[in-house]
Amino acid sequence: MNRTRIFGATGIVLLIGIAVALPYLGTTSYVISLVSTIIIAAMLASSVNFLVGDGGMVSLGHGAIAAASAYGAAWASKQGFDAGMQVIVALGVTLVVSFVYGVLSMRTSGIYFLMVTLALGMVVFGLAYRLSTVTGGENGITGVRRPELVSEYWTFYYFILGAFVLTTVFLLVVSRSPFGMSLRGIRDSESRMRSLGYSVSSYKLAAFMMSGTLAGFAGLLSVWHTHFVSPSAAGVHRSVLLIVMVILGGAGTVFGPLIGAAIVVLVENVLSNTIERWPTILGLIFILVILFARTGIVGSVEKLIRRIRGRTPSPPDDPVSPLETPLSERNPTG
Amino acid sequence: MWKVCNPVFEPVFLLQQALNGLSFGALLFLLASGLTLVFGLMRIINLAHGAFYMVGGYLGVVVATLTGNLLLGVLAGVVVVAGTAFVVEFVLLRFVRGQELPEVLLTLGVSFVLADLCLAVFGGDPYTLPASATIQGSMTIGDVTYPWYRIFVIGVAVVIGVALTLVQNRTRIGAIVRAGVDDREMISAMGVNIAWVFTGMFVVGAALAAIGGTIGSGVISIRPGIQDDVLLYALVVVIIGGLGSVQGAAVGSVLIGLIDAFAKAWIPDLAYFTIFAPMAIVLVLRPTGLFGRTT
Amino acid sequence: MRSTRMWTRGRWSALAGLGVAAALALTACAPPGAAPSDEPAGDGSESGTLKVGYISPITGNFAIAGQEMVDGWNLFWEINGNEVNGVTVETIVEDDAGNPETSLTKAKKLVELDQVDVVVGPLLANTALATAAYTSSVGVPNLHPVAAADDLTQRSANDLTVRTGSMSGSQMAYPGGVWAADEGHQTAVTLCPDYAFGWESCAGFKQGFEQNGGEVTAQYWFPNGTSDFSTYVSQIQAAGADIAFVATAGGAPGPDFLRSFLGLGLGDSQELIMNCCGMDQATLRALGEEVLGFHSVSNWAEGRDSDTVREFNEAYAENFDGKIPSLNVAGGYVTASLVAKVLEENGLVTGEDLVSAISSYTFEDSILGKMSFDDYHNPIAPVYIREVQEVDGKLYNVPIETFPDVDQWLGKDPEEALAQPTYSQTFQG
Repeated sequence: MNRTRIFGATGIVLLIGIAVALPYLGTTSYVISLVSTIIIAAMLASSVNFLVGDGGMVSLGHGAIAAASAYGAAWASKQGFDAGMQVIVALGVTLVVSFVYGVLSMRTSGIYFLMVTLALGMVVFGLAYRLSTVTGGENGITGVRRPELVSEYWTFYYFILGAFVLTTVFLLVVSRSPFGMSLRGIRDSESRMRSLGYSVSSYKLAAFMMSGTLAGFAGLLSVWHTHFVSPSAAGVHRSVLLIVMVILGGAGTVFGPLIGAAIVVLVENVLSNTIERWPTILGLIFILVILFARTGIVGSVEKLIRRIRGRTPSPPDDPVSPLETPLSERNPTG
Repeated sequence: MWKVCNPVFEPVFLLQQALNGLSFGALLFLLASGLTLVFGLMRIINLAHGAFYMVGGYLGVVVATLTGNLLLGVLAGVVVVAGTAFVVEFVLLRFVRGQELPEVLLTLGVSFVLADLCLAVFGGDPYTLPASATIQGSMTIGDVTYPWYRIFVIGVAVVIGVALTLVQNRTRIGAIVRAGVDDREMISAMGVNIAWVFTGMFVVGAALAAIGGTIGSGVISIRPGIQDDVLLYALVVVIIGGLGSVQGAAVGSVLIGLIDAFAKAWIPDLAYFTIFAPMAIVLVLRPTGLFGRTT
Repeated sequence: MRSTRMWTRGRWSALAGLGVAAALALTACAPPGAAPSDEPAGDGSESGTLKVGYISPITGNFAIAGQEMVDGWNLFWEINGNEVNGVTVETIVEDDAGNPETSLTKAKKLVELDQVDVVVGPLLANTALATAAYTSSVGVPNLHPVAAADDLTQRSANDLTVRTGSMSGSQMAYPGGVWAADEGHQTAVTLCPDYAFGWESCAGFKQGFEQNGGEVTAQYWFPNGTSDFSTYVSQIQAAGADIAFVATAGGAPGPDFLRSFLGLGLGDSQELIMNCCGMDQATLRALGEEVLGFHSVSNWAEGRDSDTVREFNEAYAENFDGKIPSLNVAGGYVTASLVAKVLEENGLVTGEDLVSAISSYTFEDSILGKMSFDDYHNPIAPVYIREVQEVDGKLYNVPIETFPDVDQWLGKDPEEALAQPTYSQTFQG
């Protein structure tokens, strides 16, 4: 095992260790709740990151998928159904919404994909906003119950921590599988993959369904975390922040979404305590990262480490960052 | 007091509704034309377009209030926004030229910053053009009464639409831009510095947004959050009309304006949602939009 | 996925399994922070400090209202000093940007990290309901200077939540209907935002109007994000009722509606009464003399002839470039004065005691007029019919008629009112 690996291994073990021990380190439930918010956001960002990193598809509609799932669970809870039924309704809504997204977007790529997902996100937002008999309109649905087993804030924390670790592992497995490689092939050149006999659309649909399901899962966790959902969860702003998280952390990296989510959530919730103009700060950080650290924070740190060790970077199969894919590779429709 | 027929189907009401839809559509065209032009040439969705509209609107209202002159307000808005757009293009976007996602995301960051700075400078009050700087009174023909200002907005949109079409089809600049839309290398072959063509187009797009902001502030007030609302409207129009097409923007604007106006009266429960539904339908049937190029 | 190269799938799974197993093992025993504390919040009781957490949207789309709500609160303590009867009032202001999730995180932060004794705010109905549910679950009182959601003091009422500076949405609009009927109008149309606050406002007006012999012939609802009101104005014109009642939740919809209304030349031909927030100072600043003589109904009237109001107006103008305070400022200010009065009378009180001290207090000369509270911690206070008038070169909403001691039950028994469904487009009482 070389040193980089040892670094990586130690880092991950340390991170999980700290995360697991966190509630016992004298932290208040506020800190745990904040960390829970970060983890849920990171999960959602991971689902976006999977599409961006492996599929080269930048979605501006994932916040709305999560919100749809959250509305499903909240509606079920309001009808007096138990947790199991909440999960089933949330899953059902998620699958339907993801399928619609997937089918409508699978023939597009690049900027057109971004527009389609943005548009569909607006449709979900519009429904959440206007179907007030089901969604409660502007005020949303409050008082959503969490399952008994995880009703305590700290049991819930472990629950989402476990869920996050599992989804991260799941995404890694998918990414390393033949499916993931084909997806990257499609990302780099659709026409080549098509001429090799791949059904590009079905690959994209499948990738979207996976990503959407994860987003829906994160949505379910977030409604259990905050006990309510309102249209702002489906707003474009939320989806935009997810992209910000992915890019900040480093698109296509494993820990990028976590780092990005941590920064955004902390700026929104902690920096805003002291700095009134925090939206400006967030915008500036974002601009600087795009200009000077295209591969995001995680990507840049990895690059730095590699440079210090004086090693040649990428082996040939190293994925190109989606942000660096040249324009000529993209065509508006499939 | 029962009327013989439902008021929402009376001819006077229908005519007024059509004008409501057209004038709102005219405002949407002022917004969407800049967005679609920039996309046509540069292949980027300028997500700061709404923020440019906002800055233009705030400045326009402030200057028009001070001077009582709408034209001065428009000029002030255009100059400042064009300057801002120049800086954004020259200092930021040039670094990431040709990489569509970084370009789009940069404009997003710019939008964050501009909107928050507007809040810091102008406060949160809604800004609307003072009566002294607008065209007051209303036109009456038979039973139909309609405010002059909204008719003026329709006029401005028509003039700008015609001007853009003429410039695009009849002038050398238009030829350069059309060449650039088809094939960028052709511009260089014509001996023109493409980087400056891009900068120019970006600035023009932003200036159109600023005009929309000032003129529009006589119809809908400028306030925090308006940048996202108008950007969404513009995106809907552009998606329906087809990215990059001025005719598409015109048709899309009128369509959305009319749908919005009549839906509010006829299917009020779905108002607002109804502007997204046609977009979804267009996306399914014709993903590149009504006038988009199917390459 | 750069880091994946360092790892084989097997190692990853093993590591993940380990983490999950460790997590599950630990969940068997609760961490120290989980023990419920008997003393819900605040070390203040001993030190003579009342720690206040103030949540308000200072950035984002509701920034003006949020900032004003904070300004009103701060203004009171600036004028009167933040020490009352030996108790120091210490305020921590938090921004929620109008986002309910952030409100909740901020409330948790204030209660658990800063250990505040009381949470004041937030502003929007959805953020207020989310916050009140949390604070009441952890035993911390929650004062609402502006939030108007009926349910805060009706179906979700509890011993820790009190509405201090505002009224429920229906309560504030009800006298508007009574007044319109008294003026001899026989038919009315209403236009309200299409969500809880709008349904409540229109229900209040409609009941007041119809209980006194009028008839509401049509009700229109606009989505909260509406910018172009021309269609609704055309509908009001086509309906041709004697009077139109128009409610907004504040901000741009007021001026935007009036732009269309005046543009169509309805200013002279159509009687109109707006609510608190459609005709507030922001609207007056935006439209100026165009709205002279317009009527509205609200529990705050900045042009009321009273010493307390005048002093408040002057102090505010002095600190904020000559501006005239809106309902949001008044709500923050009156909340602060209520807290001060209660501290003066009782010394330091926290928890349920603070709420019951506030709701058993009768505030004779508040800037809103004589205020007392019902059993559900909602104010019983005057509602003013106001007219926009020019006084010393500035525009004020001057009361032309006062309805004293208005409660939230709209002429019904509390039991009867609470038994009916919540207001909606289809149920207007």
